[in-house]
Amino acid sequence: MKILCLLKPVPDVDQLRYDRARNVLVREQARLILNPEDATAAATALEIKRAVPDTYLETVSMAPRGARPHLEDLARRGVDQVTLISDLRYAGSDTWATSRVLARYLETRDYDCVFCGTHTLDGGTGQVPAQLAELLGLPVMVGITALAELDPRAGQAVVEVDGERALLRFAVALPAVLGFQYNPDRKLPYLRYADLNRDVSQQVVVLGNNALGLAETELGLRGSLTQVRRIEVDALETKTPLRLRADQEGLDTVCHWLEQKGFVQP
Amino acid sequence: MKRVLVYIDEEAVEDSLALLEIGRRLYGEQGFCAYALAAGGGSGEAGRRFDYVFRARSGALPNFEAAALARCIAALHQAYGFDVIVFPATHWGRMVAPRAAARLRAGLVADVTAVGSEGGEIWMARPAFSGRLLATVVCRGGGPVMLSVRPRVFTQRAPALKSAEFIDIDVPDTPAPGVRLIERREKPAVRDIRESAVLVAGGGGIARDFPLLERLAQALHGLVAASRQAVDLGSAPRAIQVGQSGKIVSPRLYVAIGISGASPHLAGIRNAEYVIAVNPDRQAPIGSLADIVVEGDGRAFVEGLLERLEAPRTQSHGGRG
Repeated sequence: MKILCLLKPVPDVDQLRYDRARNVLVREQARLILNPEDATAAATALEIKRAVPDTYLETVSMAPRGARPHLEDLARRGVDQVTLISDLRYAGSDTWATSRVLARYLETRDYDCVFCGTHTLDGGTGQVPAQLAELLGLPVMVGITALAELDPRAGQAVVEVDGERALLRFAVALPAVLGFQYNPDRKLPYLRYADLNRDVSQQVVVLGNNALGLAETELGLRGSLTQVRRIEVDALETKTPLRLRADQEGLDTVCHWLEQKGFVQP
Repeated sequence: MKRVLVYIDEEAVEDSLALLEIGRRLYGEQGFCAYALAAGGGSGEAGRRFDYVFRARSGALPNFEAAALARCIAALHQAYGFDVIVFPATHWGRMVAPRAAARLRAGLVADVTAVGSEGGEIWMARPAFSGRLLATVVCRGGGPVMLSVRPRVFTQRAPALKSAEFIDIDVPDTPAPGVRLIERREKPAVRDIRESAVLVAGGGGIARDFPLLERLAQALHGLVAASRQAVDLGSAPRAIQVGQSGKIVSPRLYVAIGISGASPHLAGIRNAEYVIAVNPDRQAPIGSLADIVVEGDGRAFVEGLLERLEAPRTQSHGGRG
């Protein structure tokens, strides 16, 4: 069985700082983390590989080259091939341009299933899994809470989805794109001490557009179908709160405030 | 006359119908013709608010048939030339919209919170980086403008009653069906936290005491909500999770107990009118959105507040006179 797992390194949003003087988001100091839902997908794939050792697992990331050391650890955790798609010309790609790049690479690969997270922490649109599926002509299911069965010989996966009104179970024909929901119980395995400095360069493949051969008009901002016109930080405006302690005085003040605002009757 | 198509998710009919508001904001009440695609259900309700309602001739086409639905939307666009196509940002809307946009080679903007036009160009605002930035985005290329909107983000004015013309459409051929529903277990119906004016939300810091939060919510005539951490710990169902990966809420009052306020959570409560945050850490990020920060133990706070709120009305609260 061959599983491709899409993994996006994202900045830890809680470490982002806004430079009001320059009107830019300072991302440099924010550490990179693996998008949590993508990590759930990768952890699920690694569990399958442990149970079925002849499973071949490749992770695919589209990211700046600086993400390489971060991604290399995946090989130390048991991933067979870590693929980093990186090219300066891809900068500014929206979800459509990103999906085009990923689809072009996936067309060159042989696989039974594509795993990924449902959403990412940064853009958060959740559009890439379905756009990618459309480009590749594959079925897609996202918001997966459990993978009950993955049987390439039978050509199907059985997945569970926690829907708004019901718990649902679907059979999805393989190959398919399966988007997982974050699961705190499904974590990437710890790195073994012996593996910390293991040379994994043979398992890492870095490639750019020279290998993929997309036209210049399909790349980055030019290849995007959406364009950011303005970034505003109004959302970052903060209030100056009344600060209280959870003592009698504080509780009295809160009660009085609730009465004043009409949330409780005096 | 402009043409606006709204995709109706049969699991969220009312929220889908309300997206007509996008057309009204862009083109005014009389400035557009309203089309609904109700392939999986909800055509009756849509018929009272839209001008035209598309139904699948061969019977209901359920929302998980994203590939077939995307083909329907592309075929309809070829025939009618929509200016704008709107999707509810529900689980299923999020699966259908990107497939349809990919077929149409059209830009798609997710989770739009404001729309407008400038010099004939439609702009859409959406939060990014867990709500820390608001990006104004435009679509390029020749396709329709496509967007998804989270339920209840736009408040709809009282809709005009209409009597739609129903149009039965043929579902374009798709490759062999890729997704098959094999089991559906209904969840117990719970009130939607997005409809409540008051929410008492618990996080990891009070995960063991959710029954107490229920009492406080009752005393304040509200509902209980939860952070992702509380849901992950098994203290609350996912249906009441607030935040980027849960529900975006806009209550008048949001009482956050034991919630530190990671960015994805804050993204879900930015529209709350008032926020009271109770946390032992006075520097917790939730304070940045709060009107009142109570520093201390969440359980002690809730118990103390309940003592006061549940006391007979005649009893005065000490210290306030």
